[in-house]
Amino acid sequence: MRRWLRYLRARIERRAGAWIRRRQGADTDPVELRRQRIYILPTRLGVAYGAMLCAMLLGGMNYNNNLGLGLTFLLVSLGLVTMHHAHGTLAGVRLRLLEAVPGFVGGEVRFRLLLEHSSNVARPALEIGFARAESGNVTTDLPPRGSSDATLVLPAQRRGRVALERFIVSTSHPFGLFRAWAVVHPAYSAIAWPRPAERAMPPPLIATDTGGAQTGAIGAEDFAGLRPFQAGDSLRRVAWKAYARGQGLYTKQFAGTDVVSHVFDYESLAGLPAESRLEQLCRWVLDAQERGEAFALRLPGTSIDTNVGPAHRERCLNALALFEVREAARA
Amino acid sequence: MREPNAPSRLRGLAWVLAALAAAVGPHVPHLPAWVTLLLLAVCAWRWTADLRGTRLAPLPLRVVVVLVSTVAIFGTYRTLNGIEAGTAFLVLMAAAKLLETRTSRDLTVIVFIGWFLLYAALLREQSLSQLPWLLGSTFLTAVALMRVHASSAQAPAGHIVRRTLRLLLLAAPLALLLFLLFPRLPGPFWGIDSRTEARTGLDDEMTPGDVSDLSASGEVAFRVRFFGATPPPEQRYWRGPVLHEFDGRSWRRPSAQAFPQPQVTFRGPGIRYRITLQPHARRWVLALDLPATWPEREITQSFDLTLLSARPINNVAAFDLTSHMDFTAGASLAASMRRKDLALPLDGTNARSVALGRELATRHAGNPRAIVGELLTMFRQQPFVYTMQPPLLADNAVDEFLFDTRKGFCEHYASAFTVVMRAAGVPARVVTGYQGGEFNPFGGYLIVRQSDAHAWSEVWLEGRGWSRVDPTAAVAPERIQGSLIDAVAEDEPVPGRLRDASPLWLQVELGWDAVNDIWNQRVVRFDAQSQFDLLDRLGVDDPDWRALGLGLAGSLAVFFVVLSTYLAWRYRPPPRDWPGRLHDVVVARLRKRGLTPGPAESPVAFIERAEQACPDLARPLGDIRKLYAALRYGPSPRIDDLQRLKHAVNSLRV
Repeated sequence: MRRWLRYLRARIERRAGAWIRRRQGADTDPVELRRQRIYILPTRLGVAYGAMLCAMLLGGMNYNNNLGLGLTFLLVSLGLVTMHHAHGTLAGVRLRLLEAVPGFVGGEVRFRLLLEHSSNVARPALEIGFARAESGNVTTDLPPRGSSDATLVLPAQRRGRVALERFIVSTSHPFGLFRAWAVVHPAYSAIAWPRPAERAMPPPLIATDTGGAQTGAIGAEDFAGLRPFQAGDSLRRVAWKAYARGQGLYTKQFAGTDVVSHVFDYESLAGLPAESRLEQLCRWVLDAQERGEAFALRLPGTSIDTNVGPAHRERCLNALALFEVREAARA
Repeated sequence: MREPNAPSRLRGLAWVLAALAAAVGPHVPHLPAWVTLLLLAVCAWRWTADLRGTRLAPLPLRVVVVLVSTVAIFGTYRTLNGIEAGTAFLVLMAAAKLLETRTSRDLTVIVFIGWFLLYAALLREQSLSQLPWLLGSTFLTAVALMRVHASSAQAPAGHIVRRTLRLLLLAAPLALLLFLLFPRLPGPFWGIDSRTEARTGLDDEMTPGDVSDLSASGEVAFRVRFFGATPPPEQRYWRGPVLHEFDGRSWRRPSAQAFPQPQVTFRGPGIRYRITLQPHARRWVLALDLPATWPEREITQSFDLTLLSARPINNVAAFDLTSHMDFTAGASLAASMRRKDLALPLDGTNARSVALGRELATRHAGNPRAIVGELLTMFRQQPFVYTMQPPLLADNAVDEFLFDTRKGFCEHYASAFTVVMRAAGVPARVVTGYQGGEFNPFGGYLIVRQSDAHAWSEVWLEGRGWSRVDPTAAVAPERIQGSLIDAVAEDEPVPGRLRDASPLWLQVELGWDAVNDIWNQRVVRFDAQSQFDLLDRLGVDDPDWRALGLGLAGSLAVFFVVLSTYLAWRYRPPPRDWPGRLHDVVVARLRKRGLTPGPAESPVAFIERAEQACPDLARPLGDIRKLYAALRYGPSPRIDDLQRLKHAVNSLRV
């Protein structure tokens, strides 16, 4: 019986979801929750409340008890007023994507959403999640004329783009008797990087560069001159002697770093299946980045030149993640 | 020490416990002591468990608690039905639910139980003095619910209270509309449990001491509004149940009532009045001796001329009656009735009184009028004392009173008088009811209190039928002319001594009683007729159920429109400033040229694009752009910049 009910419920929810999707179409960032797209139904507590009020109403009419009826009517009105409040709490909230945080396969990707509104009244107890009353749902309050953010987490199951196809913003403020909700179908996606392979294969050491061979590279070995201090420069590199002489703040610059440079090539891993190659490349990229070594990445059709730094790492990982991803997987 | 996996502190628990206490409060005098104590213990335990984070009761214990308490309730009341047992059951359910409250949903269920308890208290009692408590508890319960469902634990209590108050104020108009317009169908739809609790009032049995106990209560029994002159005090006999069966000590109503209805003829003008009875859980309707007309649909008359309502009077009830002071009731007496009203116990109790009766009968050759007269003279002349605190009487109660103690209250006199009459061969019975009443000048009506409870006799006289004889009037005429206070000694516990002593207090009490009377008439007794009267006063011709339904639907619609508008206004975005508004005007005009700003395009960038797209408008648009930028981003925007921007935008011709 219970299983059958659950099945029925899942079926109804799927049907309703499809209907809502057809009705609303896809959303573009930022999404404003307008009145027309807010749905509202009593919660289980609300149904119990209604049943209680029905019993009270019948009893009050049976006993011709006007005060009992009065209390019943007050509670009926209170319930209806909270229904309107639940609706009003949601209407007019705007959502936008702050950041889509990538992650490795087997881990998770995150979507940081910004909730904002421009009314002078707080909107408490907004819940964001994928289904109703799920433990992973996030609850947040919107202060008057303010904003707040909420993070949705999706598991990264497959390499490539993980799309946030739909999520639900809901509230059962103020009494938990009614739940107002809006379904958002955003075009948000985050990238799932390949799962790094076990540390087994040593990275191929291609070249070691020294000195100024790398044009324009700024290193740490040889003093190369002074430049005016900029906010963010390390204090250890400030030319304190020059400062003491009253010449102002300067930062010492060095050149000619001892750089180990790799080229990670997809083709060099012949004999492994494609996914394993990508996982191995991912491992190398991570390790090289951790050790502060420069690396280049060569994939069939893509080539990323030698470089260092988090942006470079991310560029490489993204290239690995999106390598030969069938676009159909996004749908 | 917090156990691992123990629930963190439950939000709103304190509020819910307070609300539950407020809802249970008025039930405490009616609940068995163990139920109250159990609830208190569970509340205290749940509170400490919350503070310390100890584990909650395991399932078997909860099941045991529920089962045991259900059985105990059944043992106490022999039922789970009805207000009394139902209330106790609800309280125990709240206690059992407290044992397992882990989530906000559990707390919400307790809040619902709290509301149901409030409701049960109203089924029991609908007095005006309850109103502040009712409103306060409803509010407290709503605050508790709001607290339970607030998302963050830090929301200050002041906020929660204010938010709840706003909700209730918004709900109040709709509640009022529903109260006024929701159709009051004439109930009941199912049987009302007759095992209602004992209430103060007359009983269908009278033992010496009963009426004097009742007289110690200052509660209002009923109120009467006369449509004409108010009869003088000595004629205000409010007739209640008539008692026929005597066992030597107590008087009772007969269980079998198969007696013929006596013939009644009325003379003289009728007295019209409306009597509003406080609930007394019995069927009889008090009426001025003797009622001639009554609402036939609701009331029947018994063989001994008592008015009986169709159902026990569990709510404030009002009836329009007519009575006549001059009447003949039962010109002929049926043999069965005569036998009933001459019967005395056969076991030889009260032998001296019976002997007195027989002696009176022989002395006056069976002339009833002379017998009555002689007995009343005896009461008047011998040292009989009228008192609320008579000495206790043993087995031969009438004998002891009549010949030894000679101190008694009206029931002693009525009982002794009736016994002697029966022994003398005069059919006689005891009538209980009320006598007198206090006029309330604020409301223009008569208040009859329990302290006006009274008992007298009726004897059947050939040619005159049943005639009222009040032996108390022979002993203490002040009681009949005035009130109980005038008739008894000063140290006796008569209610209303303070009222009697202080004129100011009397005014306050009468004023408060008048307010209560209005409450009873306007609110407690608000019914279908009142609704039609209301519609009539609002100008609806010939109101009926359909008009009521239309009015209800219409006012609901209006309410929802107003509520939605209010909420939209409350959540409205703040108004745009002037540069923003003027920019909106520019955007609206440029739309005619097919230009719309992109999602991330700033106003300045949009106008710049428009300048390039429409070279003919480049100059005015350039002015607008510069002015807008100056107002928005300039170091010191000037007032006349705004004026110039207004002018530029208004003169923009697309």
